[in-house]
Amino acid sequence: MNCVRMSLALIYVVVLGTTTFAAELPVLSGYVRNYTGVIASKNPDFAILQNTVNLSLEYRKDKVGLKINPWLYHYPKTELEIGLREAYLDMFLNSLDIRIGKQQIMWGKGEGVFITDIISPKDMREFLLPDFEEIRIGVNALKMNLFRGKHNFELVLLPQFVPTILPDEGSIWRPKISFPLRPTIDSTKIDVPLLVENGEVFGKYSLMTSVADIDVLGGYTWDDDPTMHIRKTMNPQTQTLAAIEITPRHHRLIVAGTAFSTVVGDFVIRSEGAWYRGKYFSTLDMSDADGVVEKDYINYLVGTDFNLWEIKFSAQYIQKAILDYSEAISDPQFENMVTFLARRDFLRETLTLDFFTYIGIDESDALLKPRVQYAFADGFELQLGANIFVGDSGRFGIYDKNDMLYLKAKFAF
Amino acid sequence: MKALYVSVISLMTLLGSVVTAEDTKNAVKIMQNVYDRPTGKDMSGTLTMTLKNSRGDLRIRSIKQSIKSEKAIEKKLMFFTAPADVRNTSFMSWSYSEPGKNDDQWIYLPALKRIKRISSSGSGDYFMGSDFTYDDLGDRQPNEDTHKIIGKETVDGKKCIIVESKSVNQGYMYSRTITWVIDSVWIGLKKEFYDEQGELLKTLQVKEYKQINGYWTVLNTEMYNAQKDHTTIMKLADVKFDTGISDDLFSERTMQRGL
Repeated sequence: MNCVRMSLALIYVVVLGTTTFAAELPVLSGYVRNYTGVIASKNPDFAILQNTVNLSLEYRKDKVGLKINPWLYHYPKTELEIGLREAYLDMFLNSLDIRIGKQQIMWGKGEGVFITDIISPKDMREFLLPDFEEIRIGVNALKMNLFRGKHNFELVLLPQFVPTILPDEGSIWRPKISFPLRPTIDSTKIDVPLLVENGEVFGKYSLMTSVADIDVLGGYTWDDDPTMHIRKTMNPQTQTLAAIEITPRHHRLIVAGTAFSTVVGDFVIRSEGAWYRGKYFSTLDMSDADGVVEKDYINYLVGTDFNLWEIKFSAQYIQKAILDYSEAISDPQFENMVTFLARRDFLRETLTLDFFTYIGIDESDALLKPRVQYAFADGFELQLGANIFVGDSGRFGIYDKNDMLYLKAKFAF
Repeated sequence: MKALYVSVISLMTLLGSVVTAEDTKNAVKIMQNVYDRPTGKDMSGTLTMTLKNSRGDLRIRSIKQSIKSEKAIEKKLMFFTAPADVRNTSFMSWSYSEPGKNDDQWIYLPALKRIKRISSSGSGDYFMGSDFTYDDLGDRQPNEDTHKIIGKETVDGKKCIIVESKSVNQGYMYSRTITWVIDSVWIGLKKEFYDEQGELLKTLQVKEYKQINGYWTVLNTEMYNAQKDHTTIMKLADVKFDTGISDDLFSERTMQRGL
């Protein structure tokens, strides 16, 4: 609610402010979309029936600007969901841009992965299936960019921590975790109080040159995903497990990273990597009373984009490695993944075929996303696609029963 | 949406020149003069592209653009304002006169809120579904083709020299082009593009041109694809030359903020 109040207050201030700018009118744009998805099984069921209204009101004059981006999701079986993806005010000074309010901030050079993209948390209620614009959650922030020619210094302050939104209990996207006993959940420690000391700070230096684009960044943040502290109680008489209590908590995280992209011949070469300090991992080591252990880890990718036979290709290799690893940690020491994209336009860019896939190398699992898009008219687009999960385990294999066909009809204005 | 070479300045370069060159007695010199036509230190304007198919259906794209030319580098920034699904997308390219040095290109996608560096390969692709390839709209240097004067003709009351050009490189998308260059004004009033089989593919016609700030400026062109029965009309408006555009405009900041 605080978040909503702050956003509404910002809109109020901003809209009042526009009365003094009478010379130019705000620009209203957005889209309306129907999204229907069916689980592909012997007994097909609707995975999603969603109507979306996404509006964007933008205004800019000389040294100020604003954007308000409300959205509305309508589902047949639930109430309307209404929210603000962004609502911010811009100030453009000589070489300094200041943005205040709710905003999506996206960093990094990777596609479909979140390595140095550490500011806006994710809405994972539908896993990685929505458009990335909808996966990123807007956060209340003060963002300042100081520009000096090809140099850009960015400072971001977040007064309020916003965690990842996890799938609801009972959702087909909620990962199943099995325990020998039904655990009790203690949710009293999951919230991070709105205190100054609980704020987040991020900084980035960017350089854009003919040779390469380079980012160097860091953040004093929170782990967007809660750590599940597990307390086991043994029956003293039988020495068997008597109770399991799970206490989800967010922990501080320090992140340092870099990203770059350059062109070599006809190939774009991209890379980004980050080191994370303060991450907690589940462990089977009985000496860890709460079932977790703190370890640093690194995550990086190398990727390339190129064109061949009028097809745009993109490929990435991603590795996550836990440092100072111990065998009791539930996660593997190394996790390797590949992404691949192929895309081709036809009929004067009105018809597009694309195929995107995540492939988990260690578990031999994958998510395959073939899609056809047809622009029926300017702004009106139909999409027919599939989300196909392959494997039995791993990040994607666990959703093997969630294969889905979908149709989206979207009108942008 | 990748190698968006589009630039009206480049188009003008392709089409015309203000050289009073009585001594341009051979085709190479004519095309070199066309290429060397003065285009100002900088230019800004609004480009509207209308795509018309055989059924008469229209699709319209609008772009704001700024261009700055220096000794060895030309910087362009384009900001898409319509249609709605590409609104606020921007594209920047830095082109170099140094032979063999590829353009540097970036695109800003507002949905992803990221600037991506892209490769400048694929110059044979069509720009935004139009009848112009990126190469049609780019700076094609005269030494990339061989040229031959094949006749003279009066078009719309203007005396033209007809120059046939063939690429020196195998595998170029056109087997030849024929350009009607206005004598004494040196504007390419018409140009025919022939496919690899030697068949007429497209015809470009200049519908309107005039001098702005002393620079010959083409304001309205029409490209007709004879094989697809498809037309693209490109109009340039609000043209301003030599306004002193800062080099800082061609930056990450403007790509995200817009022109």
